[in-house]
Amino acid sequence: MQTNYEGCAICDSTWGNLWSEVEGQRLFFCCDICFVQFRTLVDRIKSESGWPHIDRLEIAGDRRGRTCRAISSGEEAHFAFAFNSEGGLRRFERSSPSRPTP
Amino acid sequence: MTKCPACLIGFGREDFTALAHHLVDRADESDSDHVRWLNQNLTRKRSSAEELVPSLEAVYDLQGGSLTSWVKRNFIAKFYGKDPHPFVVALQHPTRATLLGYVVEHQHFLRQWVRSCANIMARTDQPEVVFYELDNLNTEFGGFGPERVSHYELLLRMGESLGVDRSTVLATPPLPATVKAIEGWNDIALREHWTAAMAAMHGLELIANRDLVEEGATVRYFDPAILTGTEISNAAKNFLREGYEADVEHSEEALELVTRFAGELDTVEEVQSTFLRSIDLFDDYLMARLERGSDFAD
Repeated sequence: MQTNYEGCAICDSTWGNLWSEVEGQRLFFCCDICFVQFRTLVDRIKSESGWPHIDRLEIAGDRRGRTCRAISSGEEAHFAFAFNSEGGLRRFERSSPSRPTP
Repeated sequence: MTKCPACLIGFGREDFTALAHHLVDRADESDSDHVRWLNQNLTRKRSSAEELVPSLEAVYDLQGGSLTSWVKRNFIAKFYGKDPHPFVVALQHPTRATLLGYVVEHQHFLRQWVRSCANIMARTDQPEVVFYELDNLNTEFGGFGPERVSHYELLLRMGESLGVDRSTVLATPPLPATVKAIEGWNDIALREHWTAAMAAMHGLELIANRDLVEEGATVRYFDPAILTGTEISNAAKNFLREGYEADVEHSEEALELVTRFAGELDTVEEVQSTFLRSIDLFDDYLMARLERGSDFAD
């Protein structure tokens, strides 16, 4: 799976030193909370969409609230979401592609 | 003494070089509290300790003003900037779910409030501070008899007016973010200087200080129109009005005491770091109110 950030897969921070494999891709995370958030998000998108895998995940926004564009086998879906302080999803809903992602 | 705003470990006075090295070292270990503080307050871009020192000096710089002004400036930036805290946004015209999330989590906050203020009283030798805390504790928790009940009682009545009885509220355990925040504030009350504990707790009362809009806040805690309209219950109005009227005085008076005694006792940097830690805890705690509110969503 490809992501749009060069830093942490969730927040683009380049602090930290945590690497972990998600969906067959070795990804960088600034801290364990961001890692848990990312795993939680991927699982929820797959559950919501019924996709067996995600090819690309582009995230925008900040800790107050984020949006994403997920792509799988040519299909595309957009979501808006926010996490709680433990990395669980406090809010998750389908959204329109109104906010461009980097 | 300078302290780490993420974990409150101590360093020498104005030793921002040691603090910068500590932050970088802990970030290299991917510690979430330290990474978060760096991300939100200095930069998301990995930097050397030497590069961080000027930014740290800027964070702690009183800019020729008072400690009270510094506290307010940092509080506004975190909760009342151009992107206000999501709980504040939700409270402008609150739903039943938002108010019930407030009730269930805040009763735990107020019980910690008693422990924190009691520790400040136990550790200060200043009668002014004791009198201030006694009055504050009666307003928030003890009450002044049936004619003027406490903020805690008004909170429980707000819950009842929304269909959740107090036995249910009191029996509901706090969410993990509330637990972590309460533990953090308890540690501050037990371990930090009493001036720092005062700033950590009473600085939070700025959340309902309606005068902050005159100092740069983009919104108030809630739209004051809800106190006169019909969109919330009378018990909810009574609860919100109490804080709206009391917290200007509570926060202003406490911060004036902190500013005076921190100057006399040379604890300004400790106060600053402890306050920065406290508002991070408060940020998560306010999110927990929203998260709890989702339990009551239609």
